[in-house]
Amino acid sequence: MASPFPIPNAPLVCWSCHERTLGTHFCSSCGKMLQLPQQSDYFAMFEMPRKLWLEMGGLEQKFLQLSWRLHPDNFVNATTEEREISLKRSSELNDAYRTLRDPIARVEYLLSIEGMRKEGTTKQQAPANLLEEVFELNESLDELREARESGGDTGALKLRLEAAEKNFQAKLNVIDGQLRDSAREWDQALEVNGDEASRQKIMAQLNELLNRRSYIRNLVVNVQKELS
Amino acid sequence: MTRIVGIDLGTTNSLVAFVDPQTGKPNCIPGPTGSTLCPSVVSLDSDGSIIVGAPAQRRLLTQPERTIYSVKRLMGRGPDDVQSELKLFPFRIDPASKNVIRVQLGDKVFTPPEISSFILRELKNWAEAYFGESVDRAVITVPAYFNDAQRQATKDAGKLAGLEVLRLVNEPTAAALAYGLDEKQRGKVAVYDLGGGTFDISVLKLISTAEGDIYQVLSTNGDTHLGGDDIDNLLQAFVHEQILQQDQIDFSPHGELAQELRRELIAIKHKLSEAQSTRLRFPLPNGKVYEHEFTRGALEALIRPVVDRTMVPVKKALADAQLKPKEIEEVVLVGGTTRTPLVRRTVQEYFDRRPHTELNPDEVVALGAAVQANILDRGVKNMLLLDVTPLSLGIETYGGAVAKIIPRNSTIPASAQELYTTGVDNQTGIDIHVLQGERELARDCRSLARFTLSVPPAPAGLPRVEVKFLIDANGILQVAAKDLRNGKVHSIEVQPSYGLNDADIEHMLEESIEYAEQDFAERQVIEARTESELILTATAKALAHPQSAGLSSEQRAKIDASMAGLQEAMRGSDYKKIRQRIDQLNHATEQLAELLMNSAVQSVLAGKNLAEV
Repeated sequence: MASPFPIPNAPLVCWSCHERTLGTHFCSSCGKMLQLPQQSDYFAMFEMPRKLWLEMGGLEQKFLQLSWRLHPDNFVNATTEEREISLKRSSELNDAYRTLRDPIARVEYLLSIEGMRKEGTTKQQAPANLLEEVFELNESLDELREARESGGDTGALKLRLEAAEKNFQAKLNVIDGQLRDSAREWDQALEVNGDEASRQKIMAQLNELLNRRSYIRNLVVNVQKELS
Repeated sequence: MTRIVGIDLGTTNSLVAFVDPQTGKPNCIPGPTGSTLCPSVVSLDSDGSIIVGAPAQRRLLTQPERTIYSVKRLMGRGPDDVQSELKLFPFRIDPASKNVIRVQLGDKVFTPPEISSFILRELKNWAEAYFGESVDRAVITVPAYFNDAQRQATKDAGKLAGLEVLRLVNEPTAAALAYGLDEKQRGKVAVYDLGGGTFDISVLKLISTAEGDIYQVLSTNGDTHLGGDDIDNLLQAFVHEQILQQDQIDFSPHGELAQELRRELIAIKHKLSEAQSTRLRFPLPNGKVYEHEFTRGALEALIRPVVDRTMVPVKKALADAQLKPKEIEEVVLVGGTTRTPLVRRTVQEYFDRRPHTELNPDEVVALGAAVQANILDRGVKNMLLLDVTPLSLGIETYGGAVAKIIPRNSTIPASAQELYTTGVDNQTGIDIHVLQGERELARDCRSLARFTLSVPPAPAGLPRVEVKFLIDANGILQVAAKDLRNGKVHSIEVQPSYGLNDADIEHMLEESIEYAEQDFAERQVIEARTESELILTATAKALAHPQSAGLSSEQRAKIDASMAGLQEAMRGSDYKKIRQRIDQLNHATEQLAELLMNSAVQSVLAGKNLAEV
């Protein structure tokens, strides 16, 4: 995922009153909605630190609060310029909420804004310790397709694939647990203002886990498709 | 600013509503016959004028080849999409239709947005007559499961009708707004909306906050080709088959007889919502009469497949909202077809909850549209609607696969950015194909638009173009591209796959004047001028009467000045000013009228009649 805000943090000048302005979403001088948020990432939009454990109730509250003020409904009789800003800003708010609400998307997003995860560079190769199992699974899938085409018996193959799906599903659960652990590490490092090297190490871990997760998830989806 | 009305542009009936500023409650506006329902039927008269509503509906029997109903089924669709509809609907599609369907009415062809615009214009007239002022802004409802092209077609129809469409609101969401939050309704609500031609299910979360009430849609699903029409089709097919067997008469769906039979069968369907059985007697061209006793049980057996089909989207919507049926706290039924007892029973059993049916299912969507119009108009700050996009937005990738960039059920407005570059040296264009749908292959999804990003020649991989896809609060896609190397914003010619382009619309706007009734203000001016002429003539005549000698010179001068004033106003085109001068003259001639009246009374007493005065 590319960062949607290519503009670096710089002091903002309000488009409406031309004063230098503070405030995250609204001008501190004239109260108009700002064209860009003061801080340009999803965490900052919600005025939250870049932590991976988020309190969902608080996130929702903040989302609803900002929706009240940024939504295009409020600007029907406003100038074209304000209508456009509202459309842009409320779409960003919704994108941010959609991303942060989802624990996996949240990790992906954090890694992308921290420069760890770049679009198109995620590896889609089988993790080394899974090679054997993946090989077996693909073989079973091929056999099932062949058996279907030739009208042969698929019962035993299906059972084998169902077992494999369960096995990989269990691995996913393990990865999700590991992700939670690494996320906790990240939050702690952030709290104690940990050094760059340890931060990088945790991010590399998270990145590796995401890659493994996405690979196994694809396998599971493929098996489910073949079985249904 | 003029007031904003809410319009339900339905498959079978359309309605217009507004929120009464005194009571704060939404009301539907009645038409000339006193009914609030305008049948969504359009007919082209032999003199080229357009007839809409109940009079057009009557012409379905007499002029079926000049009349069209259920045009909503054709909105935003291409000729290939509607082949199955043509078997059962008497749509006459112009064989020359390309991306946009053209329907033949008599010797003319119209696009579905044009036909819908005639219905909208009729409703606009109803509202203008009701308020006594012009109406040019509206909120229009659409099925929640409408795709981008269907939404765009609806917006185009509004434009062609002379309405600025401030918002398209999803029908089930509008219904939720109409029901409101005032009672105990908090928490999760399911809205089951089975109309004439479309089915929607929406799951909402109703939240009270310090600022006001939020209606947050969690998920939506549906079928834009499933509704009461399908029940009518089943009934019709059943009777056609019986008549074919018994009397060897083959009904073509295009014929007048088929239309007449359809009308009878719809009446039977309505009756069976109340009664357990009813009898059909239908005279056939061979002199015999087709007779059949319909029971509710037999009807239910016939239509069960249609009702069962609605449950598939219901389950998907709940799954997407991550809810179980028992977690839904309120169920709302919307749409005329939910009057069918089988529908009510099925929904009640599934959710194990008695559904809300307090509001008239025909009116509730229009009432909700009026509520949204009021929010926009008066900046009502104590209600907010957060709706979602029903279908995932994707772009075609290498090999014909689709990469989803905005998932279904994302809160709108929603956006996504994609970065593009070139694959070969000096490539000057990047082709982008935007799709909507849940399938994995581009050919199985709905094509929204194709366009080419133009880039200056450069080595492969060097150009960097960021394309921003934005779904606005109407659920309609906007695309903008930015060259990241120089910050230049590209203008993108997005050619809709199944829609009218701007040139088409401009052309139709020009043509629509031919069919359009005069603008409200223009009509008012003409009426006021006619009235002025009558009153000026009458005054001149009265002044010529001997009795007018009884006026004081002061009174006489006032009358003369008022007449001159009115004559001057008549030359202008401000109807309010003309009305004001009419009132002034009426006031100035009070004494004169009295003198004449006395004279008339005396004449009667003298044995003369009034005409001789």
